[in-house]
Amino acid sequence: MTAAAEFQQIGKTYRTSPFSRQGVEAVRGVSLTIPAGSIFGLLGPNRAGKTTLVKMLLSLCKATTGSIARLGAPIHDRRTLARIGYMHENHAFPRYLSASELLRFYGGLSGIPASEIAPRAEKLLQRVGLSDRKAEPIARFSKGMVQRLGLAQALINEPDLLILDEPTEGLDLNGRQLMREVVREFRTAGKTVILVSHVLTEVEELCDRLAVLVAGKVAYTGSVKELLHEPKAGAKQNLEAALKPIYDRGARS
Amino acid sequence: MTSMPSAIRTVRWMVRDTFRQSLSTKLFWVMLGITVVATIFCLGVRVENDTPRPTHPDELKLVITKAEAERVGWDKVKAEGLRVVSGEMTLGFGLFTVEIGRNRFDSVRYLQLWFAGVLADNIGVLLALLWTAGFLPTFLEPQSVTVLLAKPVSRWALLLGKYLGVVLFVALQATLFVGGTWFALGISTGVWHAAYWAAVPILVVHFAVFYAFSAFLAVGTRSTVVAAFGTVLFWFLCWLMNTMHHQLATQPLPNMSAAAGFLLDAGYWMLPKPLDFNGLFFAVMGAENFAMPVPEFQAFQVQGHFQAELSVLSSLAFAGVMLAIAANEFRKLDY
Repeated sequence: MTAAAEFQQIGKTYRTSPFSRQGVEAVRGVSLTIPAGSIFGLLGPNRAGKTTLVKMLLSLCKATTGSIARLGAPIHDRRTLARIGYMHENHAFPRYLSASELLRFYGGLSGIPASEIAPRAEKLLQRVGLSDRKAEPIARFSKGMVQRLGLAQALINEPDLLILDEPTEGLDLNGRQLMREVVREFRTAGKTVILVSHVLTEVEELCDRLAVLVAGKVAYTGSVKELLHEPKAGAKQNLEAALKPIYDRGARS
Repeated sequence: MTSMPSAIRTVRWMVRDTFRQSLSTKLFWVMLGITVVATIFCLGVRVENDTPRPTHPDELKLVITKAEAERVGWDKVKAEGLRVVSGEMTLGFGLFTVEIGRNRFDSVRYLQLWFAGVLADNIGVLLALLWTAGFLPTFLEPQSVTVLLAKPVSRWALLLGKYLGVVLFVALQATLFVGGTWFALGISTGVWHAAYWAAVPILVVHFAVFYAFSAFLAVGTRSTVVAAFGTVLFWFLCWLMNTMHHQLATQPLPNMSAAAGFLLDAGYWMLPKPLDFNGLFFAVMGAENFAMPVPEFQAFQVQGHFQAELSVLSSLAFAGVMLAIAANEFRKLDY
């Protein structure tokens, strides 16, 4: 099976100021393969480097060391981004656009032919429950509605790889339900999802495999099933209990 | 790397989005309001009993107003052979009356010179630079731009699209201003001077050149305050350099070294030239017949030093370099 994403010895150091040679190491020597067709969870405590890893995968920032392959192509090939959908928790969409204008804008930038954008946008707005508010400026939307719109924009290019960074933040019960449905549809279609989340029940329910990052390093990688049936723990445990010793071990090393 | 059609598509979408953004701001209505006020002012202009233009080279061109003649004394006026004009221009739909020493055509052109050459090309450009300075820093905020950067688009194309969108917005406002005042003056005075339209490209190029510097500051600092005030400060610096260059080119200081002269020349050619944009409009309007030019510029022009095309092209080259540096910085930025 090919990899949706492959990180090899990735390091990322953020410079503290333009004049300083010193910096903060956000990611340290991470090697990780995210198999195509999997629902992959990326877990870890705050400032573990999860979002930095995702940002490097999306070319939002450059790795200081190592190499990354995205959908089988080197990271500098931006064409592969046309096959990726990205949603993150706190995005500020242009407030002057309406929901349908926003989807047309992002769809256009994703390279979708003009004739296909409008029907796709219509269908997605229906899907995320915003079709009755499609002509309203986003400025009037609640946080949950903006999150739903964020999901629609991530799906506008019918991606092969969907990256969700804290996707259920601000969503109501129906919104969370919708998010889960979308992830399950990706699984059925054999597509890949990378889920960055602190909501462990969500990860446990949806993900096949996961990686745990602690202090910029991979502290665990494997299937969720294996982690929950860790031989040392004896019987099946919940994800929180399984992660606790990994977080502690990672923090000590 | 993304392909060229993708870059063109990106620029097109960004121009559209930025233009849409600008139409939704209060700025659009403020600028439109200024145009409406200027247009109403022009509708209220009347020119009566104007002095005819000289039609023969030997015809006496020295003219003074009635008020000046009374001050000097009518006997002296007669002895000197001066012509006294009896023309009047009324402003504000007859509220104010001023005597004019020009014929109708020149009087209207004089007003146009003030509107486009002095107000729009100096104060207007500076205000536009201040008002639009926030577009790029806001766009470059991580919360606004990360999803866009995760699309299969080039960063330089995003930046260029945003820049062109703002320039297009200012071009629309400049066209409305010039078109509105031209039309209103045409209706109220019967003078339809087509050369006035040259103000539109001059204003747009003038703005675009300095907005490129604003883009450079915006990418470097992501601060609206730095982009706004840094650009205005830079405009004044360039104006000073431009004026000094023309002054010293026509009246060199006796002890000025060759190196200082070279540096001044280099500074002039490398930096944008706000005074030259004014001078260019002055020349296009044929204003030397009815208005007093900026002395430094006039002397420079009379001595045959002014090269309009090179002046504009070198200013545009500066804008290109600034945009290229900004695009390169943006390419390297981590989000």
